[in-house]
Amino acid sequence: MLHISDFRVKKQKENSFNLVGKIKVKILVICAFIVASLFFAQLVFANNLAVDGQKLSEIEDQIAKFEEDNTTLRAEIAKESSLSTLSQRAEEMGFEKPSKLTTF
Amino acid sequence: MDRIKIFQIIIFTAAIFIIARLFYWQFIAQVTSSGEINSAQIIPASRGEIFTNDDFPIVADQEAFLLYAKPHEITKDSQELAKVLAPSLISEKYATSGAAFLPDLQKQKEEEVKQLQTNIFAHLADKNLFWVQLARKLPKDIKEKIQTLDISGLGFEKDKKRFYPEASMAAHLLGFVGLNKFGDDTGYFGLEGYYDQRLKGQPGRLGRDRDPLGFPILVGRYRTVEPKKGDSLKLSIDRTMQFIVEQKLEQAVEKYGAKEGTVIISDPKTGQIMAMATYPNYNPNLYQEYDGSQYKNPAIANTYEPGSVFKLITMASALDMSLVDPNTRCDICSGPRQIAGYEISTWNKKYYPNSTMTEVIQHSDNVGISFVADKLGIDRFYEYILKFGFREKTGIDLQEEADGAIRNKKDWKGIDLVTSAFGQGIAVTPIQMVQAVQAIANRGVLISPKIVAKIIANSKEEIVKPGEKRQVISAKTAAQITEMMVNAVEKGEAKAFVPKGYKIAGKTGTAQIPLAGHYDPDKTIASFVGFAPANDPKFVMLVLFNQPSASIFGSETAAPTFFEIARELFNYLGISQAND
Repeated sequence: MLHISDFRVKKQKENSFNLVGKIKVKILVICAFIVASLFFAQLVFANNLAVDGQKLSEIEDQIAKFEEDNTTLRAEIAKESSLSTLSQRAEEMGFEKPSKLTTF
Repeated sequence: MDRIKIFQIIIFTAAIFIIARLFYWQFIAQVTSSGEINSAQIIPASRGEIFTNDDFPIVADQEAFLLYAKPHEITKDSQELAKVLAPSLISEKYATSGAAFLPDLQKQKEEEVKQLQTNIFAHLADKNLFWVQLARKLPKDIKEKIQTLDISGLGFEKDKKRFYPEASMAAHLLGFVGLNKFGDDTGYFGLEGYYDQRLKGQPGRLGRDRDPLGFPILVGRYRTVEPKKGDSLKLSIDRTMQFIVEQKLEQAVEKYGAKEGTVIISDPKTGQIMAMATYPNYNPNLYQEYDGSQYKNPAIANTYEPGSVFKLITMASALDMSLVDPNTRCDICSGPRQIAGYEISTWNKKYYPNSTMTEVIQHSDNVGISFVADKLGIDRFYEYILKFGFREKTGIDLQEEADGAIRNKKDWKGIDLVTSAFGQGIAVTPIQMVQAVQAIANRGVLISPKIVAKIIANSKEEIVKPGEKRQVISAKTAAQITEMMVNAVEKGEAKAFVPKGYKIAGKTGTAQIPLAGHYDPDKTIASFVGFAPANDPKFVMLVLFNQPSASIFGSETAAPTFFEIARELFNYLGISQAND
């Protein structure tokens, strides 16, 4: 015959197990949530970084292109303003060297 | 199957997929991405520019490209591809405006194209080669032309190339940039050679991690070292003066049928070189097309017997020692004289008994100068030769300077004293002669010549200190020898060419060239050295012709050229007749 008191003890034991189990599940859920959040956050950051990397690459390409254009233009300006080019152009346009120089 | 097992299978499959993908990125993709991931890439440094004194870049860097091929990726027929590429990759000399009209050059071009075609085909046909270089230093327009052909397996890498906006102007002075045995850009000759370490800068290194698509991984490690651009040089060279000199020199060399001509112009107060030219010259852009003997700058690397110009040094030495004065009379000048079996005579066999020292310089009298040499003696004369800077490098900032050829004093005999007094039997460089005459123009103070006025490093200007200074002769002696030089110009052989209204100090020189142990009477070095205005010199100039054929004399070749250039300089520098 089962004593009433024994039944109560068992009931109490079951109740305490349920409480621990509930806490454990809660902890697990929280951990899972944190992991999931961190994983998601990492994904977001990694994605952003990947996009930023691409942007940086584009900016670097642009800088390189501007520098290249700058070098080409400087060379072009130097060539066009060289004395050999200017004197040739002046000659073609009919300019003549002054035969007499007057100083005041 | 319960749900847990299904879930386990999904997790396991995903893990396998992730591991497989990671393996691919880590090992397979890295190997095939031409080593760009995690690898250090060299960033070439721009070479410093060279500016004339008006801030014009006489030498600059230009974008250029290296063309490479990956033979295993080429799908087009190699023979046909070589045929398409070869005409674009030949020397730039065929692209010059005049080249199309020269039949010889056209024939040479065809041969070069054929040769290059064979070489390219040999490279492309070898499918074992992963990467092969087809050409370097290609200009941008050629790169764009090849790119439009859209050929798979060809690629370009960025490179730099020297660019000379004024083409061959001051070529000997500037030098050029070529490739050393490791394939790196290196400066040779002139300023490029002398200042190579400062001009070339330091290449950088791109050590940033990149993903397989080539984008930088921002969380990766940064190990980038930025390239350091080479220092730039600002010269004392005046571009306009250089242009005038080169034009006049070319005309004169052709007019007088000379083998070669050299002109140096300097500022006597600072020792800075304002113009330095030699004709014929070469195009530094196409230096490979010229014979190697043309690379050296004759103005600093060649030695010559100065002839009568050296009488200035002899006379200045004797005046400085107070052994003679301008009015001292030569008592042995009535005819030729014999020394150790050699006859010392005048160039035109005319003799001037009892001529003064001023007249000795005016007539360029060999017998008269032998009279001065006797008074000096070997020891004192030799000492002054050294004081004037002969037999040692001037210290000019150019790579290939020679130190002249003057024998040891102990080997000198009586005849050497006399012949050296009129500039035969000794060899000097043109720049040494300019340095010595600069001392006369600068009240007896010798200043070592320099070409670079400033070095620009990291946007900061570093002023190059003037060369060594020393008092060689007294100011009084300098004034006396200047007056003698003015007299020589006004009453000498070349007086007809002198610009009117200007006081110019100068001296002609005609030296025979030693050949196989004797002097060839028909081959001479004709020169004229001087400065103007004589009382406040703004420039010192040396004009020198090697073996002029129209006339062997300096008074008929170098002197007229000197005065013609001087006339242009008076206008350019705003030196009026009234100022004198």
